[in-house]
Amino acid sequence: MVRWIPDSQRDEEEMLRAIGLTTSDELYSDVPRKARIGRLGIGTAQEEGEAVRAVDKILDRNRPFSRFANFLGGRFATRYFPAAVDSILQRSEFYTSYTPYQAEASQGMLQALFEFQSLWVELTGLDVANASLYDGATASGEALLLARRVHEGRRFLVPASLPWEERSVLSNYATGPGLTVVEIPFEERTGLIDLGRIAEEVRTGDVFGVLADVPNGFGHLDDHLFELRSTVGDLPLIVRADPLALTVLEPPAHYGADIVVGEGQSFGIPPSYGGPGVGLFACRKDFVRLSPGRIVGATHDKDGRRAYALTLQTREQHIRRSRATSNICTNESLIALAFVVYASVVGPRGLAELQRGLAERARTIASALAGLDGLRSPRFEAPYLSDFTIELTRGTASEFLERLRKRGVLGGVPLRDPRPGAPDQPERILVSATETVDDKAIAKLVSAASSALASTGGSK
Amino acid sequence: MTFRQARWDEPPIWELSASAPTGRAPSISGVPDRWTRKEALRWPELSELEVLRHYTRLSQMNFGIETVTYPLGSCTMKYNPRVSEVIARRKTATELHPEQPVETVQGALEIIWRLERMLSRITGMPEISLQPAAGAHGEYSALLMIRAYFRDKGELGQRTEVLLPDTAHGTNPASATMAGFTTRELPSKSGCVDVDALRAAVSDTTACFMLTNPNTAGLFESDILEIAETVHRAGGMLYYDGANLNAILGITHPGKMGFDVAHLNLHKTFATPHGGGGPGAGVLAANATLAPYLPIPRVVKSGRKFRLDYDRPKSIGKVRSGPGNFGLDLRAFVFALIHGEEGLTHVARRAVLNSNYVAARLGKRLPRPFRPLVKHEFLLSGEPLLSRGVRTLDLAKRLLDEGVHAPTVYFPTIVPEALMVELPETESRRALDEYVAAFERALDDTDEHLRAAPTATSVSRIDEVECARHPLLSWKDLRADGLPPGGASDGRKP
Ligand SMILES: Cc1ncc(COP(=O)(O)O)c(C=O)c1O
Repeated sequence: MVRWIPDSQRDEEEMLRAIGLTTSDELYSDVPRKARIGRLGIGTAQEEGEAVRAVDKILDRNRPFSRFANFLGGRFATRYFPAAVDSILQRSEFYTSYTPYQAEASQGMLQALFEFQSLWVELTGLDVANASLYDGATASGEALLLARRVHEGRRFLVPASLPWEERSVLSNYATGPGLTVVEIPFEERTGLIDLGRIAEEVRTGDVFGVLADVPNGFGHLDDHLFELRSTVGDLPLIVRADPLALTVLEPPAHYGADIVVGEGQSFGIPPSYGGPGVGLFACRKDFVRLSPGRIVGATHDKDGRRAYALTLQTREQHIRRSRATSNICTNESLIALAFVVYASVVGPRGLAELQRGLAERARTIASALAGLDGLRSPRFEAPYLSDFTIELTRGTASEFLERLRKRGVLGGVPLRDPRPGAPDQPERILVSATETVDDKAIAKLVSAASSALASTGGSK
Repeated sequence: MTFRQARWDEPPIWELSASAPTGRAPSISGVPDRWTRKEALRWPELSELEVLRHYTRLSQMNFGIETVTYPLGSCTMKYNPRVSEVIARRKTATELHPEQPVETVQGALEIIWRLERMLSRITGMPEISLQPAAGAHGEYSALLMIRAYFRDKGELGQRTEVLLPDTAHGTNPASATMAGFTTRELPSKSGCVDVDALRAAVSDTTACFMLTNPNTAGLFESDILEIAETVHRAGGMLYYDGANLNAILGITHPGKMGFDVAHLNLHKTFATPHGGGGPGAGVLAANATLAPYLPIPRVVKSGRKFRLDYDRPKSIGKVRSGPGNFGLDLRAFVFALIHGEEGLTHVARRAVLNSNYVAARLGKRLPRPFRPLVKHEFLLSGEPLLSRGVRTLDLAKRLLDEGVHAPTVYFPTIVPEALMVELPETESRRALDEYVAAFERALDDTDEHLRAAPTATSVSRIDEVECARHPLLSWKDLRADGLPPGGASDGRKP
């Protein structure tokens, strides 16, 4: 008998009697016989302790990245987060509550979300942020749809350096309204977006929006972004940005971004094999009534006390139904809370210092690898922060990373589309610096890489 | 009534400290000056304790399941087992990057694979994907799959319409529009699908009929088999919105009812916490026809090893960047494991019992539309209150003063002044009796008190219309608006 269901069988019988029934089968007299099922076949109940042991046994087959010299990063951060963040997430008043529909009883979450929105506004330099979307990729998808609402056209431009997963998600968001995602090639030497191609696309017409990312899919800062606004004219410009990078970089609104999206997992929660995270979304004030997602507003109660409530809800599915700006209902509130708690615990100076420190470490890694025969480090000549790309000149990235793993090193994220039939791809790996990367870890990486390359004969 | 919520005059976090960095952000070697932030991030510098005290105070001004009964209809606000929270925080679960070599994440893949197999049995659908982030995301993904299927069949140009009952949750029509379909809502009959109206509505333009069963009126759609036949005969797909699966675990399932594709909300039926609005975890369940279209990668077992399979040429691709909300999947897995077969069936029966028990008692005080036997939730109409000059909204606010959460209100729209009450299996008989008593006290209170409610919460009634008329959406807006800093109350009337 699972303790999660209260009361005894006798209580249940009394409750049944109170409603004029004798058995619980009668509760289902409206389910036709032909729709009934037999046993599910999912096994019998387990005691809590038994289940914990069983699940731990399975989980023990995982090798957490902290047990390696770890250089994984990119769109999922493997950084360290202060314990204080999770202690707030474990307040049951936060984690067990629903969307704050009854504002008067939910001021805590509403105020926290208002602070979260404010922080993303400060980081991006834009006017309005929402209370979260699912993740960075879907936030880009929603930005694509918003761009289409404010501008005519059928084509949406993205850098070809965007990770394949995100291109795939964007293509899915584009499918419904019959839009096309067009990849803009990058310059071979720098990895930077081909501005000439963008200008050409914009001239040929039918473009309704442009997306660029900071850092880009190779980890680099694309200087062309400063020219993008003048290149695209009045087209909606979307920037997908990393929140930590924005603690040291110019806010994208300053170089003309109309919408700034991002992934916020790197502020406060571990990656947990890819989810949950939190989608960050900010836009210009004049776009807000066409924008997706829940938004918290500041107001007053009837006694004049400051108060918060969900607002501008006439955009949303529960009111506007088929004409809503988005279908999103459940979002990522708790992770939004983690985001603002993390930033507040570390503080603005701490965050900027952290980003600076990681960038310095990334330079140390890049130059340590640069001496090796068989790879180029960094592959692209462009500025970067914590992540950069290397390219193997012999062997494959998957073999290389596998050899590293056997020597206790997680060497980075392979930048390849794993779908069969994907075009031939260079052997590139995104390498990231985190707080846990020390000189010893770097030495381990270099020695594992050099022996992996040494045992790979011939050039590719 | 003795309940009082904490009432901290807790200002926004930026008012807690005058200290914020000024000037430029630190420069970074190799990064050109034009990139460097000229003005440091505007955010307060606080000690860890100051931050903790701030958010702990905020938490005390928030209802949660461990503090109050939370009968939000359609939301399935059940107890979120603590053991799942503990397991989900193991380093062997959290410190996993989705791009780690598969050899290092065999445990995660096994959890996903085993949960998928379990959910396959629970839904009666052969294939499962855990990729979507929430219910609506699952709906959207499934509609993209249906779209791709009809494209392959050469019928996409013709099958452009998604049909739904007028009781459908708002995400259903919104997802259909996003997936590029037009929508048509069919009027219900006595709270259920009008099968004749459905027969008249389906045609070779029908892509899909979206339905939740039991529906949002809390009624089981007893004509489900005829509904399925009607939609299939017209060549359309039948979509199962699994938000209400809690009511039928182990009794029936979407496969047996004839659905082609479904989403489940692990954050409802499988007790993963709602987190103040998320994260959730959507699950896609597909029959053999639609399974090839599920998102990639799929987790497959070869021998004793698990791997990620990207070789699904018909797949719609990715719907979000990671493989799913694994942290939530793990919690749901623990929930299902501990309950087991008998437990899950008991979950459904008890949830339905709770709902009928309270419905019978509250039905003596407010009208209940439609037939008396309900499933996991039931509807009341607050219409009789209108003659007292009191609305359902007032009743909802007055309930907060009892130290309980209000039901879902004004949904579904087919019932005037609707209250939608769901009391999941984890509410004890005593909690139910107390809820009924609180509800009765609220109804018996004076009209003025009802209209003045709430008074026991951290703030009094908020004028949400006013809030939308003059949107102040961030600190930046507050600065521009010239709200005086400091203190929770600036005395300004709305
Ligand atoms: C009936 C119904 N369908 C769909 C949804 C959407 O699910 P989610 O909030 O997980 O996106 C909900 C929940 O709000 C619901 O109650």
